[in-house]
Amino acid sequence: MTNKYSCVAAVLFATTIAGQAMAEELTVVLAEELDIVDPCEASRSNIGRVMLQNVSETLTEMVPGEGVQPRLATSWEEMDGGTWRFTLREGVTFTDGTALDAGDVAHSIARFTGDAISCEIGDKFFGGIELTTNVVDEMTIDITPNPAQPIMPLLASTMTVVPSEAPIDAYVDTPIGTGPYVWDEYVRGQHIKMSANPNYWGDAGAVTSVTYVFRSDAAVRAAMVAAGEADVAPNIALQDATTDMDFSYPNSETLFLRLDHDTAPLDDVRVRQALNYAVDREAFVGTILADGTILATGMTPPSTLGYNQDLEPYPYDAEKAKALLAEAAADGVAVDTEITLIGRIGNFSNVQETMEALLAMYQDVGFNVKLQMFEVAEWLEHYSKPYADGRGPEMVQAMHDNANGDPVFSMFFKYACDGLQAGLCDETIDSLTAEATALTGVEREAKWSELFKYIHEDSVTDVMLFHMVGFSRVNSRLDFTPTIRTNSELQLDQIKFN
Amino acid sequence: MSEAEIIPDTPHPVRTTFGMLWRDKFAFCAAIFLCFIIFCAIFGPWLLEDVATKQNLRGRNAPPFDFSRPWYFWLGGDALGRPLLARIMVAAQNTMMVAAGAVVCSLAIGTTLGLIAGYTSKLGSQVIMRLADVIMSFPSLLLAVIVLYVLPPSVFNLVIVLAITRIPIYLRTSRAEVLEVRERMFVQAAQVMGASSNRIIFRHILPVVLPTLVTIATLDFALVVLVESSLSFLGIGIQPPEITWGLMVSQGRAYLTTAWWLSFWPGLAIILTTLSLNLLANWMRTALDPVQRWRLESRKTSDE
Amino acid sequence: MRSFLGKRAIASAISLIGLVVLVFFMTRLTGDPTDLFLPENATQEARDNFRRLNGLDKPIIVQFFNYVGDLLRFDFGDSVRRNEPAIDSVMRGFFWTLQLAAVTMLLVTVAAITIGSLAAFHVGGVFDRIATFFSLMGASAPDFWIAIVAIVVFSVGLGWLPTSGTGTVWHWIMPVAVLFIRPFGLILQVVRGAMITALNSAYVKTARAKGVKNRPIIFVHALRNAMLPIITVIGDQTTAILNGAVIVETIFGFPGVGKLMIDSVLQRDFNVILAAVMVTAFAIFLMNVLIDVLYAVLDPRIRY
Repeated sequence: MTNKYSCVAAVLFATTIAGQAMAEELTVVLAEELDIVDPCEASRSNIGRVMLQNVSETLTEMVPGEGVQPRLATSWEEMDGGTWRFTLREGVTFTDGTALDAGDVAHSIARFTGDAISCEIGDKFFGGIELTTNVVDEMTIDITPNPAQPIMPLLASTMTVVPSEAPIDAYVDTPIGTGPYVWDEYVRGQHIKMSANPNYWGDAGAVTSVTYVFRSDAAVRAAMVAAGEADVAPNIALQDATTDMDFSYPNSETLFLRLDHDTAPLDDVRVRQALNYAVDREAFVGTILADGTILATGMTPPSTLGYNQDLEPYPYDAEKAKALLAEAAADGVAVDTEITLIGRIGNFSNVQETMEALLAMYQDVGFNVKLQMFEVAEWLEHYSKPYADGRGPEMVQAMHDNANGDPVFSMFFKYACDGLQAGLCDETIDSLTAEATALTGVEREAKWSELFKYIHEDSVTDVMLFHMVGFSRVNSRLDFTPTIRTNSELQLDQIKFN
Repeated sequence: MSEAEIIPDTPHPVRTTFGMLWRDKFAFCAAIFLCFIIFCAIFGPWLLEDVATKQNLRGRNAPPFDFSRPWYFWLGGDALGRPLLARIMVAAQNTMMVAAGAVVCSLAIGTTLGLIAGYTSKLGSQVIMRLADVIMSFPSLLLAVIVLYVLPPSVFNLVIVLAITRIPIYLRTSRAEVLEVRERMFVQAAQVMGASSNRIIFRHILPVVLPTLVTIATLDFALVVLVESSLSFLGIGIQPPEITWGLMVSQGRAYLTTAWWLSFWPGLAIILTTLSLNLLANWMRTALDPVQRWRLESRKTSDE
Repeated sequence: MRSFLGKRAIASAISLIGLVVLVFFMTRLTGDPTDLFLPENATQEARDNFRRLNGLDKPIIVQFFNYVGDLLRFDFGDSVRRNEPAIDSVMRGFFWTLQLAAVTMLLVTVAAITIGSLAAFHVGGVFDRIATFFSLMGASAPDFWIAIVAIVVFSVGLGWLPTSGTGTVWHWIMPVAVLFIRPFGLILQVVRGAMITALNSAYVKTARAKGVKNRPIIFVHALRNAMLPIITVIGDQTTAILNGAVIVETIFGFPGVGKLMIDSVLQRDFNVILAAVMVTAFAIFLMNVLIDVLYAVLDPRIRY
């Protein structure tokens, strides 16, 4: 009897948990816990997804298809000498009650570019750029980057603004921002809770409060939405995306193999072409990788400025690959040298299968390839400079994320002679990159396109593979469709209820 | 305790053994299954390597029990369209090498140290036991990462890492048994009669201690196979396209809710092997123990 | 006994110090957290600055003495990844792990000793066969199978239990159940084996011959004699959980110390690794002392 009772109790109890989620409350299940909760780290995808534009807002906002839009800055203009003048929005207050002014922006910039704490926004977007700020009046600020940055408004879309009370030499535990939500509490290991900001300058969203929980297993995240315990799982695995609650979205990640041009036989262009022809890219799509995965011809997502839409992916042509190899061999290229194919463990959900499939394809056309999967720290030793001496020919699998809309965030690091992850040193690439970086508008777009073409067709720098797709599971009571930005942010005020 | 009393009335040791095995039907089946696994481990890669590595992306995750396909597809195909049955048979070799290597090493080293710790001076015992404490508290993943960094990836290193982490359980268990056994009458008697320490340990104590350790070792087989896969994922040890059962189980994890067979069959192979090892170990324990041997010698057993 | 504990405390302190030194230098063989923490396009200045902020720019021996100096003031350093003292992260996780280990091992001990002893009473009987079969199956099955299938069935399908997380007693059922299976299988086998030997030993037979018909008395006497290896294995299994129940922590979102340890090793968060090693080592050392004391209590012939 007692047993039956407890069973009934269990059922009732479970129903209450599911029913507890009221119409305006939202539960989001994320893959990783947040380690640091400071707005100056919001460019990390795990932190940004919680914080960006929810708690902490940026000066401008990059909206795909619409370009750079106002956020905390309402307008901006380029002045003489590479200076940019930003005019701030009136009537914005932080959640601690203080009003937003130009001093806060100056403080935020000093904070993330300073060396008293390590801030990712500074390291990722402003490395090698010196930012000088000048507070013109309460609502106007001049920012002078050195060297000059034609894309300063775009760069401003990465700058989160904190009040000038935020300590310059320590991370904060409770982020204070201007956004539509207030950070209520973070119980480490358990959850983060936020609620709607009653004093928000913009329109209030439909969601009044939100709880973030963390589960590292993708199948469990999917199960939580299915069981009604969570409403949104922004990141689930392809194989779990089997219901009509699941949405796919391009996640701005590009998968490629970085080739090491310094070592034979990878220094021969025919070998690199053969490596490209040997891959049956079509066979991956809809099998190991999701339907909707796009074959890549360049390092950045197709929505990026200057992405060359005219380029064709290398078709699968095993015969041609073999012929190219034979030709290179006839010229004395050591095509039999063992090439190490290096993969990064856990990089994306089917990385293991992808790498094994690539390995088989290369072996089929006669390459002598060995696969080695590494955890991230060891992998980085092969991916980033300085490269080890006497390493032998290496192909390093990597995934690059550029959701910022301009190739400048990618090209230097991946291709320049001084680029930290570059596998080659090519003067043409260096000069094209330098030229494009200094240009604006249509000219900039054309120059980037030229560079993409050169890399893809002339230099055959690497083996470009795919623009990847991510999956979200969304409870059917929500009216929300994930987009390319879901990878780095999840704006709660855009979520509606059915 | 002496073997002398068994030998006279038996026609031939092999026949007796076989007869005793035949009487315990479970052990008999276990022995046959293990023979099959050993066969796969020796000849599998040689016979089936090509079949087991042939990929077919468009035919991935083929469901099991499709008897219209070749026999090696009867258990289905994996995420790259390779036949699971053939892969399990090929993987037997690496699995056995790693698991047997690690279990036997840790059993041998752990037991030896445990016997010494239980039977020597207090200082020697103290040193060995505190070393065991340190190994028990040293995170095994950290050990694996260190090995990965300091040494080149190889199967041998993998076996070393696995063996080191499993030593303490054999060490501590054998010592615990020795502490008790050495106080027993027959050991005391042997000491009085002037038997050497070595002789006492290996002739009198070890046979009493061993059955428990073998029981643990059989279950450790499963544990080691599964742990091995998590180390493979760090880049140490067995690397794809080489394959082990543990690796197959782990790779199938992501598909558990959509294509269960990917991790089920290799998992079943681990379970059945463990089960067989254990049944056979239990049988051996009975067969080698003169006190219990009667259970297998006549058809009339004590079953109720 | 008092002198034993005193000596033991000194010996354990020495091994703890040795462990800390070992872990300190060995973790530093595996690179540093700079490249893992910073974005891949970070400049050399940013990298140097990060190393300076975290004291990683100093020679390793200076880092070591700084660490020891802080440690003497009970300052375990800050986590590189998380903006908090390393010891806070560890103690929070350890608190959960300890509860999980205590609840699980209590249930395992009671269940395994009861069922294992009953199985040993009728070796080869139906109960013995069933208990052995199922416990071995469970102990050798990959634990994530059971975890994920349980979630799919009991949470998504039937809606009886929450999928994961903590909070109510209902949240504990599946994690404890999954964690229960492997130690249960192993300890049950050890209990069964040890009891078979004990029940066949001379003194139990003597007791029976003398007319002690009371089964519970025989049972208790035999068990007491078989107890040394059993508590050793129980201790070992508890250690395994204290070192981290990683599958349960990752799948059920249980905020224990195991996943923290793995993340810290992979992220080279040295201070957290060291703090975690020290806390778990302390618990493990303490438990091993307890086990040694229990030996002497259970078997008065054993003296230290």
